[in-house]
Amino acid sequence: MKMKKILAVLMALIMVVTCFAACGKEKTDLQYVKDKGTLIVGVTDFAPMDYKDADGNWIGFDADLAREFAKYLGVEIQFSEIKWGNKIMELDGKSIDCAWNGMTLTDEVLNSMACTKAYCTNAQVIVVAADKAEQYKTAKACKDLRFAVEDGSAGEEQAEANGFKYTEVDTQASALLEVAGGTCDAAIIDLLMAGALIGEGTSYANLTYTVSLNSEEYGVGFRKGSDLAEEFNKFFAEKTASGEIAKLAEKYGVQEAIIK
Amino acid sequence: MSFSEQFPIVFNSLNVGFLQTLKLFFITLAGSMPLGLLISFGSMSRFKPLSALTRTFVWIIRGTPLMLQLLVVYYFPGLVFHNPIWGGGEGGRFLASAVAFIVNYSCYFSEIYRGGIQGVPYGQQEAGQVLGLSKTQIFFKITLLQMIKRIVPPMSNEIITLVKDTSLARIIALQEIIWAGEGFMKGSQGISGQIWPLFFTGIYYLVFSGILTVLFGRLEKKLDYFKT
Repeated sequence: MKMKKILAVLMALIMVVTCFAACGKEKTDLQYVKDKGTLIVGVTDFAPMDYKDADGNWIGFDADLAREFAKYLGVEIQFSEIKWGNKIMELDGKSIDCAWNGMTLTDEVLNSMACTKAYCTNAQVIVVAADKAEQYKTAKACKDLRFAVEDGSAGEEQAEANGFKYTEVDTQASALLEVAGGTCDAAIIDLLMAGALIGEGTSYANLTYTVSLNSEEYGVGFRKGSDLAEEFNKFFAEKTASGEIAKLAEKYGVQEAIIK
Repeated sequence: MSFSEQFPIVFNSLNVGFLQTLKLFFITLAGSMPLGLLISFGSMSRFKPLSALTRTFVWIIRGTPLMLQLLVVYYFPGLVFHNPIWGGGEGGRFLASAVAFIVNYSCYFSEIYRGGIQGVPYGQQEAGQVLGLSKTQIFFKITLLQMIKRIVPPMSNEIITLVKDTSLARIIALQEIIWAGEGFMKGSQGISGQIWPLFFTGIYYLVFSGILTVLFGRLEKKLDYFKT
């Protein structure tokens, strides 16, 4: 009997411990990050914006810029690799402080985050098998294709806007896998990414991109209502004026895309 | 970059990922095997409120997807209680995964344990009582070993499932082996647009579950010296 009583108490304890609650006081996001002393940046592996060097350190245009921004705020920086589809949950759950990874400013992003002004331009392109590329030179010609797009991406918005039939998949890379495997006819992905992922020397040598669907802009996303977005705009204007942004852009070959 | 140049980089990165997989696997086992026993005692308790509570808990955990539980464990503290206890780093993601896996697997284990314990004929407990043994003595000296023999096949089944289930943790961005393999599809360490590393991860799982199968086979044979 004794053991049972101990067990009963133990079980009850476990139940109580799981029902914890702690309420934070209201303060601005800038103050929160400064008090904490670190800016946690949510990234994914996405060259040339964020990627790892041989020693496993995060580099790239966005990563270097984020490092400068943390210095400007006077806090440490921490990069956290996230699942991109979960970025809003990561922000609201405070496991990251900003999503900063060549993020297209879509309506979904603008509605659910505090976004900075755009700092970089990009486009969404249609990827098809290279041997059929001739037939699909315009968006209209692609009307009857079945598309693969990344769930929650700017590509998905374009597919919807153009009235394409599409399947949502996990990542832009899996969208390419769908085309390579023949389960979908075409994919819509970022131009910057398409440049790096398909063609000679990759598993997708037989794919190519044809149509550019739109032009779009990159921004940094902070928690909804955060005052850090305004802080970034100030920071970016300052660094553009001093020429540091241009230097950084040249280092990663994205100078054409940067907004001055 | 040619295949022979890619291979060492991919191999290294997959090994790092698989180390995370193994870490999660062993920590889950170490945590859920004893916790499962505790839960099985709870659900077999004659104290009704306790057994009802435990059975409801087991129902909730077994009745919802592990993927959902991972999301709840990792995001709820920050989203609901405004207290992000896990932090954004890799360590926090691992801890949250370990908690979700341990709780989930201990519920499955508890039911296997319960079957094993209740499968031992009741007459043996009565015999123990006649001999003047306490309940604890009866459990450890009579029931436990017979239970272990009975549960080896269903446990090995569940444990091999666990090896592969660890890949679910990438939903909260735990960088296990599938994550590492997928990384080369988009681009990582200068290799981009490669599909083969993802499928190559299958070999790791196959080898590891092969080893486990052999080990469990041996364990079964070792326990074969008495009949139940």
